[in-house]
Amino acid sequence: MEEATQAFVFFWLAGLLVVFGFMVGFFSKVGWQRRFGAVVGSAGMLSLLATPWTLSFSPSSAFGHLLGSLIGPAVLLGVGFYQITFSGHVPVGRLTRTDRTIGVVMVLIGVLWLEAMHWWHLTPTYPDAVNRYWLIFWPTMLLGTIAASCGVYAVVDVVGEQRQRERQLMVLLAVFAGFLLMLGASSDGPNVDRNVFADEVLLAAADIFGALVGAAVAVLLFAVVLAVYESQQPAPTRLNPPSAAQLNDAGRTIAQNLRGEYEDE
Amino acid sequence: MRMSETSSSRSLLRLSGFAVLPMAAAVALVSVLSGGLTDGALVRFANSMLTAFTLVSFVLLLTLVVYGDARKRPIAPLLGMCLSVAFGAGLTVFFLSQGELLMEDNGSVRAQALSNIVRFGTTMLGLAMAAVVVFGTLFSSLMGGPKRTIMFEEE
Repeated sequence: MEEATQAFVFFWLAGLLVVFGFMVGFFSKVGWQRRFGAVVGSAGMLSLLATPWTLSFSPSSAFGHLLGSLIGPAVLLGVGFYQITFSGHVPVGRLTRTDRTIGVVMVLIGVLWLEAMHWWHLTPTYPDAVNRYWLIFWPTMLLGTIAASCGVYAVVDVVGEQRQRERQLMVLLAVFAGFLLMLGASSDGPNVDRNVFADEVLLAAADIFGALVGAAVAVLLFAVVLAVYESQQPAPTRLNPPSAAQLNDAGRTIAQNLRGEYEDE
Repeated sequence: MRMSETSSSRSLLRLSGFAVLPMAAAVALVSVLSGGLTDGALVRFANSMLTAFTLVSFVLLLTLVVYGDARKRPIAPLLGMCLSVAFGAGLTVFFLSQGELLMEDNGSVRAQALSNIVRFGTTMLGLAMAAVVVFGTLFSSLMGGPKRTIMFEEE
């Protein structure tokens, strides 16, 4: 197989399958379609994860390497937060205190793992230099954490009552992410130079703002397309007002439901 | 009605400000620490914007399959979003073909376009992980706090 064909099948087609599988699995209401979406999405994800071996000649395989490097912390964080959340006040399927403790330990290890990927020797290296996509991912995640926690702070303020603890937690999270950004931009890590990190932070910010603007324009256009289509549809036919007999029938049915018996006239 | 609209738009504006301004402040601080804006930030912004427009349009096109289930599979919105995707892709190729305008470290228009898509995927991955951390922390706190009961007033 030619290199371009290999890259198309194992990377681009696989990426498309992940998006398609996720969307079918998420949106479809039919059981077999949801299962089909999950299978297709998983197959695509496995193909992407295998690209360091199947497409070692392509620079895009570094993305597959990054995905593989992030599986550990992502699973620890996801499962850890799940354990903590569902050991709280849930009406059914409540987990035990031990599960909660395990969840807290998993989250701590997940966070430490991510930190070690910047500040220790666990930095994703592919093939013999720091993975270029890690340099994009890490500042993006830190900036995203700042934006999301500050946004959630505002939402909790608007919709929640007596939620000072959650608001303090969100501020703490934003400050922690900001601190990591500043630390990375002012101190060299074992594998990532501070100047390189600072440049990547600025480029990641450009990426995020660009993505926000592009996505907003696309959603706006989508709304316009649907609004134009809906406005061109013929209005639904209006029914005649109910006749006296129909009103009488309705009155009798309501009376039956209220009193539990037919009303004799 | 008007008061409610004004209030909701004000809330939305406040929410956007809360989400964007602290991030912009952090970027400004990093920029001061590193000694100014890096070359290529504007190029990256434009590439990211065009890629996001095209890919989000494509994803919205896929969501029309669900919309079609409820509306007897109309062709017009599907065609509209197909045009939107084609417009985004065409615009990207056009601007990438204008010499060095939007080109980064890639040798051809195709390589740059594909690199933009992978970079967009990485950005989404970073934002998704951030969302896991933030919402995980929020829900852990919400479900783990003291149990609350709703007190109804006596009639």
